[in-house]
Amino acid sequence: MSQVLALEFPPVTHLFQWPDFLFTDTPLALNKTGLIHVLALLLTAGLFWVAGRRAALVPTGAQSVAEAGIEFVENNIVMQTIGPEGRRFLPFLTTLFFFIFFSNIFGVIPIFQFPANSRMAMPLVLALVVWGVYHVVGIRAQGFFGYIKASLFPPGVPKFLYILVTPIELIQIILIRPLSLAVRLWANMVAGHLLLVAFAVLSAALWGAGFIPSALPFFALILITAFEIFVSALQAFVFTILTAVYISGSLHPEH
Amino acid sequence: MIRRLLAAASLVLAAVVFNASVAGAVGETVGSCIFEELEEASFAGIDGEGLDAVKNLKTAYKNEAEGAEDIKKDFESDLEGCLDAPNPILPETTEIIWGGGAFVILLVLMRWKLFPVVRNLMEQRTQRIQDSIDEADKTMTEAAEVKASYEAELADAKTEAARILDTAREQAGVVRADLQAKAEADIAEMRERAALDVEASKRQAIADLQSEVAEIALGAAEAVLGRTLENPEVQHQLIDDYIARVGANQQD
Repeated sequence: MSQVLALEFPPVTHLFQWPDFLFTDTPLALNKTGLIHVLALLLTAGLFWVAGRRAALVPTGAQSVAEAGIEFVENNIVMQTIGPEGRRFLPFLTTLFFFIFFSNIFGVIPIFQFPANSRMAMPLVLALVVWGVYHVVGIRAQGFFGYIKASLFPPGVPKFLYILVTPIELIQIILIRPLSLAVRLWANMVAGHLLLVAFAVLSAALWGAGFIPSALPFFALILITAFEIFVSALQAFVFTILTAVYISGSLHPEH
Repeated sequence: MIRRLLAAASLVLAAVVFNASVAGAVGETVGSCIFEELEEASFAGIDGEGLDAVKNLKTAYKNEAEGAEDIKKDFESDLEGCLDAPNPILPETTEIIWGGGAFVILLVLMRWKLFPVVRNLMEQRTQRIQDSIDEADKTMTEAAEVKASYEAELADAKTEAARILDTAREQAGVVRADLQAKAEADIAEMRERAALDVEASKRQAIADLQSEVAEIALGAAEAVLGRTLENPEVQHQLIDDYIARVGANQQD
């Protein structure tokens, strides 16, 4: 038991910060997080490339995954939020979904065991991209002043309430939306990674001490790993559907 | 289904087993950082390296040597640096560059080529399936039309057959009635002729019989009486009596 009591949980920062291993001390220094993002790019591109090469009538393998992904984004995200005219955003939203999913899923992939989105960089970049997209879409759809008016002075609100509503809307559109998008994804992946580490460290320590009930945290670890696979997909879905909701809001201010 | 569940379960288990080494991926600890700082300690104006240097610095500080306090403060802040963790929320520039770059490249690739190719394949397949369904519908409609026309023709043929049969039946009835009437007429005629013949023969026979019987009777009477019956009335009377008697005997 003495070993169990001597259990040292690594400092949180040491679980998320990875040393650079390529182009060290340059602005292009590459660490594990960057590598996972590059792998997410290669996996998504590879998946669609393979899917596009095979034109089987009954899709299997990569083709079936890519097509199911597109259909999922189309039917469960675009059609539910924007409607048929949202199909032009399908490539963007599908890319977003797959890129986030692959970046997340590395949290349970052996050897890597790190969800790249548990670092703030990528969620923030993605949130800023989305921020730019929905503003541009809104300005294109309604004109600059029309978009500003529809966003800051929502119709149906009593005029005197604009004193309160307009600043809130301004803060929400400019700041809260992108920040909440980024923080939601980041915090979920951080929490998942911490849970996995906590139970892995606990299992390993108990096992090392020859403590039989170590099977208990190990069993919990199995469940949490399965749950993390689910969360990886869920967070990709949540990020993508919120993006679609924001785009829809820019296209149809009346909603 | 069971095979898929088993595969998913073993995937999760494999991930867990490998993940158990997550603790091994952990970077340096606060303790190891301080240990390294102490080991690598070296100060300008202070003799020695590592722990010796730290000891000498401590002595110099106690003796209030010049500059020792500043060096001590610097070293302490270095050691506290081991506790300083970079803010986990602040994004790392290099990660922004690699992650953002990867996303932008992926987005360009997807919009340019990857997505439209897969999407076109899906649409082509949907179109192909739709065409097949339309074709099948068309064929079905045609088949239904052909069937309907066949059925109509069949119904016509049946009606025609029934009509022909009825006509034949009618004609047969007429022919039968004619034949029957003719046959009946023939039979009646034949029967009448036969009756006439019979009647004539009967008369003839009776006449013949009467004359023959008369002669026999006469002969017999003459033989009996030994005379010729001259008187015709007597003659007739005798003959009639005789005939009547013979007839009565025959009836008995």
